[in-house]
Amino acid sequence: MNSPLLVVSNLHTTFETPRGLLPAVRGVSFSVAENQTVGIVGESGSGKTVLARTIMGLQPIRGVKLSGSVLLNGNEIVNRPHDELRHLWGSEVAMIFQDPMTSLNPVRRIGDQIAESLQVGIGLKRKEARARALELLVQVGIPSPEDRFNAYPSQLSGGMRQRVVIASALSCNPKLVLADEPTTGLDVTIQAQILDLLDQLKIERKMSTILVTHDLGVVATRTDHIYVMYAGRIVESLPTADLHAHHRHPYTAALLNSTPRIENKSHTRLTAIPGSPPNLLKPLTGCAFAARCSFATDLCRNQTPELRNDGGASEFACFNPVGVNA
Amino acid sequence: MTIQSNPILSVQDLQVTFGRGKKAVQAVAGISFDIYPGETLGLVGESGCGKSTTGRAIMQIEKPSGGHVKLGDIDLISTAPKEARRLRTRLQMIFQDPISSLNPRRKVRDIVAEPLDYWKVVTGDERAARVDDLLRKVGIDPTVFGHRYARQFSGGQCQRISIARALAMNPEVLICDEVVSALDVSVQAQILNLLEDLKAEYGLSLLFIAHDLAVVKNIADRVAVMYLGKIVEIGSSDALYESPHHPYTDLLLSAVVDIDPSKKHERKVLQGEPPSPSNPPSGCRFRTRCPFATELCASAEPEMSEIAPGRFVACHYPLNFTK
Repeated sequence: MNSPLLVVSNLHTTFETPRGLLPAVRGVSFSVAENQTVGIVGESGSGKTVLARTIMGLQPIRGVKLSGSVLLNGNEIVNRPHDELRHLWGSEVAMIFQDPMTSLNPVRRIGDQIAESLQVGIGLKRKEARARALELLVQVGIPSPEDRFNAYPSQLSGGMRQRVVIASALSCNPKLVLADEPTTGLDVTIQAQILDLLDQLKIERKMSTILVTHDLGVVATRTDHIYVMYAGRIVESLPTADLHAHHRHPYTAALLNSTPRIENKSHTRLTAIPGSPPNLLKPLTGCAFAARCSFATDLCRNQTPELRNDGGASEFACFNPVGVNA
Repeated sequence: MTIQSNPILSVQDLQVTFGRGKKAVQAVAGISFDIYPGETLGLVGESGCGKSTTGRAIMQIEKPSGGHVKLGDIDLISTAPKEARRLRTRLQMIFQDPISSLNPRRKVRDIVAEPLDYWKVVTGDERAARVDDLLRKVGIDPTVFGHRYARQFSGGQCQRISIARALAMNPEVLICDEVVSALDVSVQAQILNLLEDLKAEYGLSLLFIAHDLAVVKNIADRVAVMYLGKIVEIGSSDALYESPHHPYTDLLLSAVVDIDPSKKHERKVLQGEPPSPSNPPSGCRFRTRCPFATELCASAEPEMSEIAPGRFVACHYPLNFTK
């Protein structure tokens, strides 16, 4: 296997806020191979979206401190000005954002918006770009694409808008697609359609995908490898096939237990995680999950566990892992 | 659960129409269901199917264009507005967005006390004690948080405060409209457990409106499935999820993904999107997306019929069923 498409090493993203420094991403390392789909899962505030935006190189220069490295196909992203990254956006890496309404321009026709990215991104002439844009609308399954080409985003449903966003993101054949909560806010039936579309396009175009989501069900069925984030760090890294039976971190276990399951009997009591995530504006000592963890010891409260492996498939940052190594 | 008593809330042929003339949209097109004492009825469906409008119409936040909402023996719709307002305290509603449903510039104690103040139920020390008791019930320490402003709380805490406010008038029925869909899973589980506890303690009946089928399965006794302004199927939640009779219920359930990938069930994909409620299809409203639709489905609208005890379905060709 060649060197991975994306290598993130010891990445830190810290925001300067009026109330002090906020370390949103605190030393994250992982890699994505060609054709691989990885899932980054975490609750709100875990830093997953900040991580995705940092990998894209979208963080503003002012007010944000970055350290570590993001190597995308040999190109360093961290601390490079937007002007130098622009040629990578679209052709190397593209992002699909959560809210399809705000990621489209409400006063431009959708066909023109897709064509624009083709004109700017790969220098197509207007006419060619419009023809390609129409092809893309067909590929993402927009019904009667000729008519919809001239529609405004407000004339489309949420699912259709997300298809347009996908068409636009894929217009310049990126090698890596970052999808940040691509189906949150869509109905389950539409969610299944959009995720199927992403799967199909990924295979056709041999792309790598990073799926950022809070929904364990989505990552469990659509990825090869899962990274679980908590308070700005990866706390567990494991192959998707091992998520359900062979997870080791108590936080992963707690997340799985608090997820309502469709096969549960009526009135099944869920195991909630007590408390709420730590305030990252305050300095943290020890494991960030210790305060909510039922296995926490004094060691956990004083020392930060690093990701480790004890022979199984999972790497976990925990002194007192759950389950036995399989 | 056995249905032994009279319903506490009975919705009969409820209709809600927005706009008039050619632009009229019938968001709720004549639906009926009962909620029995101590029961949780889940109401599920895709966005735009009219499930939230149903909840709002029961509360009379939207004025129904037809039908009846009976609380015990009294029809709220034909009652004089002033009297209906008092009766409505027996119904309370909790909304989806916990943060925007609380006034950010008011203190928590005042928010919870508002219904008590409006109806002048209790005053002075008794009022303070009642408010603090309600806050404690929902897991918020009034001595620490009581004087804080709503804007200082997280989404999960705001939802707890909303629940405390809804309980202030000792309601009989609580209408929960997507109350956990904006919350993280760990907090969602806390709120669902809290609702279960309070339901038992106060003897509440719940109408639990949600799009998340797994959440509804975990909390509801019975489930009603809505499509384009109509109920297509009602049944006890275990039976309905186990063997859905309406093709729409079946397709909706198969779109749900489970966290255990080894439990891969046969995925049936529901194609397309719901048609516009301003121009619903003739006959069965689901026929444009239904894999089993025939000419009969286009010409005749299926009636709701009880095909097994407690199982109602509106379909000409119900699944998992032989006559």
